[in-house]
Amino acid sequence: MADNEQRMSLLSIGLVRGLVGQFAGILLGFALVVLIRALAGYDEVWSTEPAWVVGAILGALGFLIAIGAMSDWFSWWRGGETPFVHGPRHPGRPTWARYFDVDYNHKVIGIQYGVTGLIMLCIGGSFAVIFRSELARSGLQFLQPATYNTFIGMHGWAALFGIFIGIGGMANYLVPLMIGADDMAFPRLNSFAFWINVPAIVLLLISLYYTWDAGWTVYPPLSLKGSPGFQLVFWSIFLLGFSSILGSLNLVATMLRMRSPGMSLFRMPIFCWAMMATSLIQLTATQLIAMSFLMLSLAREATLAMPFFVPVLNAAGVNIGGDPTLFQHTFWFYSHPAVYVWVLPGLGIISELLPVFARKPLFGYRWIAISSLAIALVGFLVWGHHMFTSAYSPNLRVWFMVSTLLVAVPTGVKFFSWLGTIWGGKLSFPTPMLFTLGAISVFLLGGLSGPVLATVATDLHLQDTYFVIGHFHATIFGGFVFPFFAAIYYWFPKITGRMYNEQLGKLHFWLMLPAFWLMSVGQMSVGVAGMRRRIVDYDPLLGGMTRFNLGFVEIVQILITISAFVIAFSILIMIYNLFHSAEVGRVAGANPWRSRSPEWQIPSPIPEQSYPRPLHVVGEPYDYGLATSPRFVAGDD
Amino acid sequence: MQRSSTDKRHFIIAGVLVVVVSLALYALLYVALPLPLQASTQAATIDWVFQAHMILLSVLFALVVVFMMYAVVVFRRKDGDSSEGEHFEGNTPLEIAWTVLPLIAVVIFGYIGVTSLRTVTAAQENEVVVDVEGFQWAWAFTYPDTGAASADLVLPVNQPARMEMTSRDVIHSFWVPEFRVKQDAVPGQTTVLRFTPTVEGEYTLVCAELCGLTHYNMIAKVKIVSQEEYAQWQQVQLAAMGKTAATAGSIDVAQGDAPAVDN
Ligand SMILES: [Cu+2]
Ligand SMILES: [Cu+2]
Repeated sequence: MADNEQRMSLLSIGLVRGLVGQFAGILLGFALVVLIRALAGYDEVWSTEPAWVVGAILGALGFLIAIGAMSDWFSWWRGGETPFVHGPRHPGRPTWARYFDVDYNHKVIGIQYGVTGLIMLCIGGSFAVIFRSELARSGLQFLQPATYNTFIGMHGWAALFGIFIGIGGMANYLVPLMIGADDMAFPRLNSFAFWINVPAIVLLLISLYYTWDAGWTVYPPLSLKGSPGFQLVFWSIFLLGFSSILGSLNLVATMLRMRSPGMSLFRMPIFCWAMMATSLIQLTATQLIAMSFLMLSLAREATLAMPFFVPVLNAAGVNIGGDPTLFQHTFWFYSHPAVYVWVLPGLGIISELLPVFARKPLFGYRWIAISSLAIALVGFLVWGHHMFTSAYSPNLRVWFMVSTLLVAVPTGVKFFSWLGTIWGGKLSFPTPMLFTLGAISVFLLGGLSGPVLATVATDLHLQDTYFVIGHFHATIFGGFVFPFFAAIYYWFPKITGRMYNEQLGKLHFWLMLPAFWLMSVGQMSVGVAGMRRRIVDYDPLLGGMTRFNLGFVEIVQILITISAFVIAFSILIMIYNLFHSAEVGRVAGANPWRSRSPEWQIPSPIPEQSYPRPLHVVGEPYDYGLATSPRFVAGDD
Repeated sequence: MQRSSTDKRHFIIAGVLVVVVSLALYALLYVALPLPLQASTQAATIDWVFQAHMILLSVLFALVVVFMMYAVVVFRRKDGDSSEGEHFEGNTPLEIAWTVLPLIAVVIFGYIGVTSLRTVTAAQENEVVVDVEGFQWAWAFTYPDTGAASADLVLPVNQPARMEMTSRDVIHSFWVPEFRVKQDAVPGQTTVLRFTPTVEGEYTLVCAELCGLTHYNMIAKVKIVSQEEYAQWQQVQLAAMGKTAATAGSIDVAQGDAPAVDN
């Protein structure tokens, strides 16, 4: 009994232990910097920024050690053995405690990722709702410019954390199940890659205290001056990138090595192909943003002031320093492919769900699989389209324009194949299908508003306006948010064993889709009319345009703000639905959607070991409507 | 008995709907996406390309959404029907068609893109040169031909103008929505932006690149005036600066290089 009580003390919760460890690491970092400065003979032994840099690194290390994400590795180091066992690592504790601690089961890690991702999306969205309220009217209402400038950057990165981590949730939960594997290739690395996100989030949230005002793109020289908040953001993202690299490495290894017998690459559910393309991008491009943020960290005036990104003129007036646009190249070399990291998994979800709700095979499975890889490849060649108004050779703009337009080709293949999938089907429309169709319509708007931005002449007008905001959010909502919600509703019965509430699900959809449409078109509208992005105040009579004796721009801004509130409210409905239905929802059974995918052939919720007997795959993944095509035969080995 | 999904009638109905919806959509976009006053020759080109893209957008959007909604309505499952849909796994000629057709569209719009870019950025004879300096959070203009300096940008109508831009501190971006074109001003570099104003009047130059605290308020007045008024304004500016046009002219040399960033 006493033993039990001791187990459930606060510090036995891994997350708490980790945060204490991070705090200790930060303090250690501070002390180290003070010590070094004292020894080096500085008058001022305290210097905030260097202290935070060392504190951020040691804090992250402290978190990972304290939570135990590295314990097994330490024990290998000492020559110990840690055989892999299915089941909780600390038997006797309540089930929920597993989710707040290091756990090697990919289904637990998937939920950890998924819930953390949803939380970060909500935090990111909250910033948006706050500054949307400010923007509803022209003039300064309640946000100071400095706060506003910080909030737009926080909105961006918090939401991007949500997207990266949300994708991690879908990938870690689904990929092993879909290929018939019992777990990921490297379970310990998997847990490590998840938990490294948490100290990163803590640093991002602390940056709010110091403020930082250069937007999520943190272009130097602006990001080299001012508040230490920037340093926290740089290191936060550095850690997030670390998680991306390790997670994607694990996914590629899992898909290449862990497939069950008969699961050839072209029999994998299509979501796995999307994750393959995504992981290859993450594995090869993330280093670029890690490097550029490391360089920013060193280039900050309050740290080493290395002149990577600022000109330094010698006596003859020649620049012997750096170039501000260098950062933009390295940043976008990663951040454009990153956009495909954010949308390819969602497009995979669309391709995954349509056949199930159309009762038809996925149209052109191989074309869709290959198109993901093609998008990933072309994605590496287009980064310059973010810099058409920046300073680089005018001729280069032509190449980036053409390479960007080429993205339309593999993307078009996906759209047309989706149409081929639903054409002639027996369509039904539960919530996941509604979100899937909604995603297609929204992603279509995002995609089709792309070429006008890729074309240099028109981009010279639209760059840095709300048109870009509208285009980007349509792309991300269509490519990630709507499919992510579709995935949550779709796999909810698999995860919990219970059905979500269909009425509330539909209410969520019918509030969110029209609101999002209004918001997107509204943003594009004011952008074309001449409204810049990232401004706390605007001229209501922008471009001399009025409607109904009111500034056109202000009317649209009010509509956008209302839409934002409706979207936020609809998401709250979803969260209520999920929590409530997990308790009282109707018992779902193993395969409520009559899917052919492996994960639906085992009980819901899935037992600790997903596939006690190996799965033998004999049929195609989407052979709906072909009675003669079995998908699996029972294995006996 | 339901018609087969490959029945011609489905495609004829959907095809007609695509045409109707494309037209309606383009009309809607024309109203919902209001371009500002067209006040430069570059604006005319850009607006033309913009509308071409909106037509493309309308047609492709209608194409996908009409077929999608048609399927949603026509191929919906009847209550109590648990049978499967038609079984077809793909169609290679169709896949090749919808790979090649977008490729052709890319070539066409790539061509439009290249030619319009050339038109919009082409150098002109008889350009009015202005040295533009952006700094947190305002603009400064000097006219190297005369030596005049001003906090407002004044330009003669219908004469090509060339902005030679740089920045004193962080990256800014020069944008007058009515002229359409936009260009960053980058510390340590000189960037060039060309436009030919065509409509007399007052406009607002805004900074389009987030540049710190009061970025939103980094604006300058732009006045497009007749040639006579412009000449007159130059005289007034110079007189106010205690100079005459004759003694001015070499000031731009000092201005041309960017200030060093102290590090
Ligand atoms: Cu991009
Ligand atoms: Cu500025």
